[in-house]
Amino acid sequence: MTAASPLISELRSFLADESALVAKKFAANGDGREALAQRTLLVEEILKRLWVEYISPQQLESGGLALVATGGFGRGWLFPYSDIDLLFLHPDRESEAKNKDAIRRFSQELWDLKLKLSPATRTLAECDHFDPNNTEFTISLLDCRFLLGSRDLFFRLHGKVIPRMVAREAKALLEGLAEVTHARHTKFGQTVFHLEPNLKESPGGLRDSNVACWMATISAMSKLGDWPQVSSLRAPVRKKLDAAIEFLMAARCFLHLRQGHDDNSLSWEAQDEAAVRKIGALDLPDLSAADWMRIYFGHARAVQRTVLQLVEEIPESWSSLRRQFQGWKSKTANTDFSVVDGLIFLQQSSSLQDPELLLRLFHFMAVHGLKLSTTTEYRIEQALPAMAVAPPRGTELWLYLQETLLQPHAAEALRAMHALRLLTLLLPELKPIDSLVIRDFYHRFTVDEHSFLAIESLHKLNQSKSEWDQRYAELLSELEDPELLYLALLLHDTGKGAPGGNHVTSSLEIANRCLDRLDVDPQERAGVLFLIENHLEMSAQLRRDIFNPETVAAFAEKIGTPERLKMLCLFTYADIKAVNPEALTPWKAENVWQLYIGAANYLNRSADHRVHSNDGDEKLARLRSLAPVTGARFKEFVEGFPRRYLQVHSAEEVMRHLEMAQALTPGSVQIDLKRGRHWYELTLVTQDRPSLFATLTGVLAAWGMNIVKANAFSNQAGVVVDSLHFTDRFRTLELNLSEWQRFKDNIAAVIAGKADLDKMLRDRQRAEKNMRVKVVVETRVDFDDQCSSTSTLLQVIAQDRPRLLHRISSCLSRERCNIEIALIDTEGQMAIDTFYLTAQGKKLSSEHQKKVSQALLDDLKILESANPS
Amino acid sequence: MTKLEAVIQNSKLESVKNALQEIGVEGMTVSEVRGHGRQKGHTEVYRGREYSVDLIPKTKLEVVLADGMVEKAVQAIVAAARTGKIGDGKIFLSRIDEAIRIRNDERGEGAL
Repeated sequence: MTAASPLISELRSFLADESALVAKKFAANGDGREALAQRTLLVEEILKRLWVEYISPQQLESGGLALVATGGFGRGWLFPYSDIDLLFLHPDRESEAKNKDAIRRFSQELWDLKLKLSPATRTLAECDHFDPNNTEFTISLLDCRFLLGSRDLFFRLHGKVIPRMVAREAKALLEGLAEVTHARHTKFGQTVFHLEPNLKESPGGLRDSNVACWMATISAMSKLGDWPQVSSLRAPVRKKLDAAIEFLMAARCFLHLRQGHDDNSLSWEAQDEAAVRKIGALDLPDLSAADWMRIYFGHARAVQRTVLQLVEEIPESWSSLRRQFQGWKSKTANTDFSVVDGLIFLQQSSSLQDPELLLRLFHFMAVHGLKLSTTTEYRIEQALPAMAVAPPRGTELWLYLQETLLQPHAAEALRAMHALRLLTLLLPELKPIDSLVIRDFYHRFTVDEHSFLAIESLHKLNQSKSEWDQRYAELLSELEDPELLYLALLLHDTGKGAPGGNHVTSSLEIANRCLDRLDVDPQERAGVLFLIENHLEMSAQLRRDIFNPETVAAFAEKIGTPERLKMLCLFTYADIKAVNPEALTPWKAENVWQLYIGAANYLNRSADHRVHSNDGDEKLARLRSLAPVTGARFKEFVEGFPRRYLQVHSAEEVMRHLEMAQALTPGSVQIDLKRGRHWYELTLVTQDRPSLFATLTGVLAAWGMNIVKANAFSNQAGVVVDSLHFTDRFRTLELNLSEWQRFKDNIAAVIAGKADLDKMLRDRQRAEKNMRVKVVVETRVDFDDQCSSTSTLLQVIAQDRPRLLHRISSCLSRERCNIEIALIDTEGQMAIDTFYLTAQGKKLSSEHQKKVSQALLDDLKILESANPS
Repeated sequence: MTKLEAVIQNSKLESVKNALQEIGVEGMTVSEVRGHGRQKGHTEVYRGREYSVDLIPKTKLEVVLADGMVEKAVQAIVAAARTGKIGDGKIFLSRIDEAIRIRNDERGEGAL
């Protein structure tokens, strides 16, 4: 037994009693800050007793030694099971040598009391030295506080050494701090939205709140050469940070007491208990675990934002001249925004009272991948209450939103809008999934973050080098309306925030409201709702045998059109990828792709299944209800169309075609011309006649139009519905409204044989210079006799060129082939045209196929030499 | 002790798992694999480009069993995974010398 034993016994029971008291008080009042202060006082008391016992007699002889609290202990924030950071500060090496044994005994007793001590012994001169490999020690000095021993020595450290050293090393310190913070954030996937976050280390945790304070302090000290008198953070930032710190203190204190050790991981069980006990949120009514986590995420998000901004703002603040110069030079700046050090500032004259400016700001962010400066965020927050009175909605909002969704950094812009509460102001339908935790051992992120990640994963496809990603990237580039896919991803899980078992049903209801708000047109709306309704369909099919033709056929029939299949495939890819970083294994990516290819091939090879007006088809039933008066005529109209006709056209369009067919007189044509966002759409309804499709494509070519997509269908009665999507290469229709009628009249005249198409085509050829091609596509002609019972399928893949489609269809007509169905598509510079052909009502014989193939190859060669690549 | 490795169709995993659980086999290791037997691969043509599917995605299931359980497990897997078509998969059996539970060094069948 040593002489100190009675003291240790006494201290041990003192520590146990007082610790129990701290825990009891915390259980009663939930005040984290108070518990931390009491714990700090308790440890200080123990240190004092041990100091008197072991150090004081020695210290009198050595002439100076100071005990300094650093780190969390220095701040007075001692959590129940945290390390106790202590600095034994010596005036010189001699003192260090003399006190070595006493310090060892002093530390030993603390360890025996089961207090986790993190001691450091330094001379004053050593504290003046900054070691880039040990940024942590220098940073811990920023929170130093005198405890015991030589007050004079401490003041030399605090008053002279630290301010001088920080002023000298500020840049290196800030960079070091930014580096370790970035490394820590990377470890946690750069997001606060973990389902089981770490209260100390996760982004937005307590460590980040300290980083924010340290950065502000270093920055201020580098300018003042001394300690700042008041907090260096701007008042609104400070206020938010303080509220977050209060909450995090209470939560971590609760966790330590619950776990009985320094465990900062907020498990689901701990979340449940914290919600019941309303930790950090005593003044609120009863909370569910999800509600409580939402409060946590709100605070964590505020902390993370502050830190990220400080990390980015401060290191570049060394030369105000440089900053101004950069802003002046910045190529991305415009009349509304300037860009300095990658941060967006609002030009002085810009007023955020204009909602459009705000929407432009986030579009700008999504385009350039820049972040908002703190002042810009502050100005946005100030402007939000006014905007909340009448937030923008309707087509205007949808236009801005879709343009933002399409940009490469859309997810970052959405996150920024969300963090500032702007996103939920514009789309309140997203409120229920704000920071929502779903406990399924599968998803790693909250529902809102999962949706942003899904959008992000599609935008990142282009940069990926993985073979799978490149295939999906190609698919994405082929989409007609990618914005609909992004919107569906944003809304697909909104139902998870609603009560009830089936989140898909709830998501559909919520999405419907959101689409009303955005005034999305009916066809686009149907596309978004389709994706949301079927977003689990492909994953469900992966649990079947995806190499079984029946499985593939049933799946493809359900999806209906190639465009929807593409979107659903990309949706599935993005949705799985956003679940957690490991969820989309190459094995799974391959399965999704194989199912996609199987279904895509099925859809192209089953296009001639015919409609019978008495079928119990859902879409037919809907059409019948739309056309009660014209029942008989409707039956006659749809009878014999390929099923594909009903799949690619909406019910409204079918009804319009019916009207056009009703208005037909012998020999006449009905033409409808519309301008869409990406292209013009021409619909032609007439009685079938020889070379009709070839003539129609010829007229468009003669007008210089580029056909990107076309569908040609006919019914049993020989009524043809051809729809062609084209771009107006010479802006003829865009710039000359009068040309619309002339264009339509000209089509009618050529079809009626009243105008000379060959002459028109020769004129056009003379007027056009040869087009240079960037990617050379080899011509390929394939026949398939298996996939249709009545027709021979022909697929032509060739370099996209003016007049290509007219050339192919004319050749087919010359070779006495009847085009039953034409499915025309363009992918970049590759034209992929599929035709269902018959000759005298039958499939093409193999000799006939050979002849057609040779004729096509010869014809396309002539076209190639006329437009060499 | 015998190690049973079964390569089955992905779609059959759930039913095989349930069948094994019914006869009292609780633990198993499941992995995502690619391969082919006599089923071989095939080529898919998509928009003029060929995608070879020479290695077909499959699911591999591994389980180490006390000898008395082996035949029952084989029967359960065969019954649950068979469609009668080519590509249903295969089962491989091999002898295991020893099994050791890392936690407590328990050995033999008790460690299974």
